[in-house]
Amino acid sequence: MLKIEIEEAASKQWQPKIVAFFCNWCTYTAADLAGVSRIKHAPNIRVIRVMCSGRVDPQFILDSFAKGADGVLIGGCHPGDCHYQEGNYKFLRRFQMLRRVVDSLGIEKDRLRLEWISASEGDKVRIVVNDMVAKIKALGPLGLPVKYKEWANEMNVLESEIAGKEEVYA
Amino acid sequence: MIVELDAIRGVTLDTIYDSSEGTLIQTCIQCGTCAGACPYGEYMDYPPRRIIKMLQHGLIDKVFNTDSMLKCVNCYACMMKCPREIHLTEVLLQLVKEQTVIKLPVVPPELQKALENNYRYGNPMGESGRKRANWVQTSTVPIRILSQNPEPVDVLWFVESYPAYHPRGQDTCRAIAKILSALDVDFAILGNEEKSAGECGLLSWESGLAEALVDYNMAILSKYKFNRIITSDPHALDAFNFRYKMYGFKPNVTHIVPFVMQYLDKLKPMLRKTLGYSVTYHDSCCLGRHNNYYEEPRTLLKSIQGVKLIEMVHNRINSICCGGGGGGMWLDTYFKSQNMERLSDIRIREAIDTGADVLAVVCPYEIPRFEDALKVAGYDKKMAVKDIMELVCEAMED
Amino acid sequence: MSSTNGKIKIGFYICHCGTNIAGIIDVQKVVDYAATLPNVVVSKHYKYMCSDPGQEMIQKDIKDNELNRVVVAACSPLLHERTFRNATSQAGLNQFYFQMVNTREQNAWVHLDPEASTDKAMDLVRSAVNRVAFHKPLEKKTVPIKPDVLVVGGGIAGIHASLTLANAGKKVYLVERDPTIGGHMAMFDKTFPTLDCAACILTPKMSAVKNHPNITMWTYSEVVSVDGYVGNFQVKVKRKPRYIIDDLCVGCLDCIEACVYKEPRFFDEFNQGLSKRKPVYMPFPQATPQLVVIDPETCIWFKTGKCKQTCVEVCDRKAVDLNQQPTYKEIEVGTIIVATGFQPFDAKKVYYYGYGTYPNVYTALEVERLINASGPTSGEVVMRDGSRPKSIAIVHCVGSRDKNTNLWCSRVCCLYSLKLAHLLKEHTHANIYNFYIDIRTPGKMMDEFYTRISEEGVKFIRGRVADIYPDTNDEEHRRLIVKAEDTLISEIIKVPVDMVVLSTGLVPRDDAQDVRRMLNISCSTEGFFIERHPKLAPVNTFTDGIFLAGCCQGPKDIPDTVAQAGAAAAEALALIDLGYIELEPNTAFIVEEECSGCKSCVPLCPYTAISYDEVKKKASINEALCKGCGTCVASCPSGSIKQNLFEDEEIYSEIDGILNYKMEEALC
Ligand SMILES: Cc1cc2nc3c(=O)[nH]c(=O)nc-3n(C[C@H](O)[C@H](O)[C@H](O)COP(=O)(O)OP(=O)(O)OC[C@H]3O[C@@H](n4cnc5c(N)ncnc54)[C@H](O)[C@@H]3O)c2cc1C
Ligand code: SF4
Ligand code: SF4
Ligand code: SF4
Ligand code: SF4
Ligand code: FES
Repeated sequence: MLKIEIEEAASKQWQPKIVAFFCNWCTYTAADLAGVSRIKHAPNIRVIRVMCSGRVDPQFILDSFAKGADGVLIGGCHPGDCHYQEGNYKFLRRFQMLRRVVDSLGIEKDRLRLEWISASEGDKVRIVVNDMVAKIKALGPLGLPVKYKEWANEMNVLESEIAGKEEVYA
Repeated sequence: MIVELDAIRGVTLDTIYDSSEGTLIQTCIQCGTCAGACPYGEYMDYPPRRIIKMLQHGLIDKVFNTDSMLKCVNCYACMMKCPREIHLTEVLLQLVKEQTVIKLPVVPPELQKALENNYRYGNPMGESGRKRANWVQTSTVPIRILSQNPEPVDVLWFVESYPAYHPRGQDTCRAIAKILSALDVDFAILGNEEKSAGECGLLSWESGLAEALVDYNMAILSKYKFNRIITSDPHALDAFNFRYKMYGFKPNVTHIVPFVMQYLDKLKPMLRKTLGYSVTYHDSCCLGRHNNYYEEPRTLLKSIQGVKLIEMVHNRINSICCGGGGGGMWLDTYFKSQNMERLSDIRIREAIDTGADVLAVVCPYEIPRFEDALKVAGYDKKMAVKDIMELVCEAMED
Repeated sequence: MSSTNGKIKIGFYICHCGTNIAGIIDVQKVVDYAATLPNVVVSKHYKYMCSDPGQEMIQKDIKDNELNRVVVAACSPLLHERTFRNATSQAGLNQFYFQMVNTREQNAWVHLDPEASTDKAMDLVRSAVNRVAFHKPLEKKTVPIKPDVLVVGGGIAGIHASLTLANAGKKVYLVERDPTIGGHMAMFDKTFPTLDCAACILTPKMSAVKNHPNITMWTYSEVVSVDGYVGNFQVKVKRKPRYIIDDLCVGCLDCIEACVYKEPRFFDEFNQGLSKRKPVYMPFPQATPQLVVIDPETCIWFKTGKCKQTCVEVCDRKAVDLNQQPTYKEIEVGTIIVATGFQPFDAKKVYYYGYGTYPNVYTALEVERLINASGPTSGEVVMRDGSRPKSIAIVHCVGSRDKNTNLWCSRVCCLYSLKLAHLLKEHTHANIYNFYIDIRTPGKMMDEFYTRISEEGVKFIRGRVADIYPDTNDEEHRRLIVKAEDTLISEIIKVPVDMVVLSTGLVPRDDAQDVRRMLNISCSTEGFFIERHPKLAPVNTFTDGIFLAGCCQGPKDIPDTVAQAGAAAAEALALIDLGYIELEPNTAFIVEEECSGCKSCVPLCPYTAISYDEVKKKASINEALCKGCGTCVASCPSGSIKQNLFEDEEIYSEIDGILNYKMEEALC
């Protein structure tokens, strides 16, 4: 009982923020459909509309993490259904490479997700968003900007130390 | 299709509307398919459809004052045909049934006795627990009993009460033992340590007796190391998969038919004897409707040389219950007093109409029920009731 | 545009949408917050932003406050972006100096916690305010619309749409897969609620299609590929070999008579297998066109290579050609109407109704043929066992309203069940029992029809049928027992009947997913094509220039099908008569100075819009071919490709906005 209360209090304090890139034709439409059907889901995603998942530059994703996103979700049409024939395949290829980069930065797997959601799958938006939010809540904040600041400070200290030493040697 | 156990843990009739099951119940369109599908629907004052309406109107207490749910034989017919996929047999009806039995002025003596026996001896017939493994001595192949030899084993065979004590059940057991050893399966049984698994609607969940049996068997099972459990009793299968799981026990349990089917390639060459029977197959409610094993038993039968399979009018999802489920096994006298025909009598007429030599079954209740029904119909010289495993074993003999 | 000295001035507006948005989001808080954001000079809320007063408010503010950017937080941009862009441009601003925040569909409607919803709205407003500062003035591209139209499917929907367009003087290509047009309607005897004869109203329309100078009708044909975009689709049509030369055949049927198969012995599709046909056949007497067809699946010549070919011999017009090959036609059209219809639910899937097991269990469509004067029994209701029914059960909702099969109500089966009850009674004088869950008779004259049928003495039993099985008391006749609960009297009843009619629902065609892929439109998971908006754009798809008509969009009756076909034709006409369509200017372009000439973008473009200039050693994009997906933009290693409306800066500024990221803070 107590544990649950504590957890609830903690979750009240901290809500993860997820940046989402949804393609105009399938996933963005599905998210609208979820709305029209009043399918409730967690309020933690912030959608950026792009014409096709193929437009999603890996840099957008890294940038989102670096600037404080706790998770990034990319939504596109099912394979074979891309409005532009194969933008989603092209993105998939980039995504697989990006996955490795993100791993190597120590960002947990569950924070980056790619989902194919067609225009009719309003309920899938709910399932995916809720699941992702639950998993990220369990992981806690990513907080890269804060970490960067700490690293930058450490670097400064180190640099000045080195500079100090160099002075001594000089 | 099948209920998610987490959604109904601890749910009662008072709290059901707060669960996802309650939401589902709200979608009932009062179509009456459940009542029409129920083999005893015409004898119930409150068939499932009306129960739902009474529940919605807060009048459910009226239902407890009738014996409607005592007449439910847990056959899953209503549930599997319900166009809203409401888990009638699995959830709602169980809860109503429990209240019905509690409120009953007199519990039918036969049922009362079976409940007591289960509590005192761990089997409904009141046999001594120490004789449970006696049949092993009549087996032609060696059978390991875990209490005597507790080494880890691949397959734990949960024998159950009817197979262990009833002479015809023991026939099935000997057949199974033979098949398992022919297939080189590493198996063992619990022997006298085993007690009735506790399914079969006798025991609506959370009733003390069911819990006692579940606790007991879980404790025994946790003593031993094994990979999977098999059983020839579809009711035990359901007990493990739907009740024990709710208590946190999650073994991999299979019925003997799908289990043997995994070895079909190996088994087929061993089935050297041509049987030359025409066979009709009775779908057990638990194995068929509830666990969706319609084709496996048929495929197994058809792999026996000379077996000609004839279907009864009602088969697969439409099969008629033998009347033994949900406590029906011990309610025949009561049903008779209510002028209700035994379902086994109805079912046997369909079997007889096929003109088959053998009525093949996969549930230990069914052999005694149908053999008795055949006697009543005066047809017992022309048709034999056999467990599929008996037929397989027969085909293995040279 | 008024001078602003290069300073960005943003007007921000949030819509209440009645209580749709304001009921959950604290609009005052959002407005107060937006006012604090950089460049925002006006921040307001209003009850209905899309109303005239709402739009006028924006326009007035643009003039009074010299606004040069507008952000509106309201419903989805897919719904009203166009409205607000127009308002912006009417006030003299470039319409692309506008950005919309989805505050209803993707916020107020899907969240329960007002605080979290308001937070989300503020994040997205910040993001939009950030983004709009980077917007550039753009012009919409226009593309001309080719006036020809393709109609796929020749049921009543396709027929009606084709005739409407052709009468308006447009050239129409009607492609039908079967050997004849007509669809399901051609199979019916009479139609509810007026009980007029289907053939009498359909056949004239079929011949009108055939004879119309503006319609090219290709039956026994299929669309195999569709390329291009609105205004200019390139379509390839496969004309399957009929083994009959169209221009020579006069439909005299001599070849059928002469076929080496003396008796018909193959499944007759049109009669649902209730009769047999020969390998060479005419689907039904009024088939349009009046051409026979040879089915290679059943013709012995195609199966064995041996036959006397009596059909070839007998035809003095030399119209039979067993060596015919498929031909392909390539056409260019500006718009497409999809009218591929439905298929009936496969009754075998409800195992306990015994279809396929008991011969006297029929589907409704089979009964339509049985009672049809030109059907297999010339309108006599004679069952498979040769007997005539004295009692008949009609089972509603077969394969509809059932989670085990299909969830939807098929909308027409109640009514056609009433129709069949009437017709069967008329033909057989049998006792008729309609087993139903709910009788659904919406629409003009429909409930009156129900009353009329009730007066005729048809019995109605309110209960879904639970079981159908042979009556063991009746050995030779194979009478059936229909078991159900009559829920109105709470009794289980078992009605013995001679015949059972299953009122099967309407389901999407098996190949709906393939058709959808080929046309690049969407369909629900079940397979009905999705309209752009359920209320406001019911015949449009998400793909410009492609429209829907009839049951391919969802179950409906003939009046609604025809109305929808007319609407689809009108939408196509509106485009054609305007002559052009405006497209989003979201194309990509290459900043030549920055292009390193690596060629990585060239193979990425699905439309081969990117070419490489060997002399300049630079890539370039053909704007006319680019569809604006942005794939090349995201993959240019030197970042030298940009996409209008989706420039990198715009997207980064959205990210910054969402995360409230400020460069200065991060660095200190
Ligand atoms: C048993 C029954 C009785 C009914 N009775 C009535 C009634 O009395 N009154 C009433 O109003 N409504 C009735 N209806 C409903 C009526 O059938 C429909 O409203 C109507 O047929 C819909 O017409 P459609 O053109 O959309 O589809 P369809 O009639 O299905 O026609 C579609 C056409 O497209 C063709 N096609 C499909 N796919 C392709 C492809 N890929 N390429 C080329 N061609 C293709 C098909 O061959 C077909 O010719 C009844 C329905 C049923 C099932
Ligand atoms: S079958 Fe299902 S939907 Fe129909 S009345 Fe029974 S519970 Fe309700
Ligand atoms: S489970 Fe079987 S016996 Fe029980 S109510 Fe349902 S149909 Fe009737
Ligand atoms: S129209 Fe009538 S028969 Fe058809 S699905 Fe709807 S309710 Fe059932
Ligand atoms: S944006 Fe897409 S369509 Fe345009 S050139 Fe690039 S890849 Fe081709
Ligand atoms: S348009 Fe949706 S992924 Fe390409």
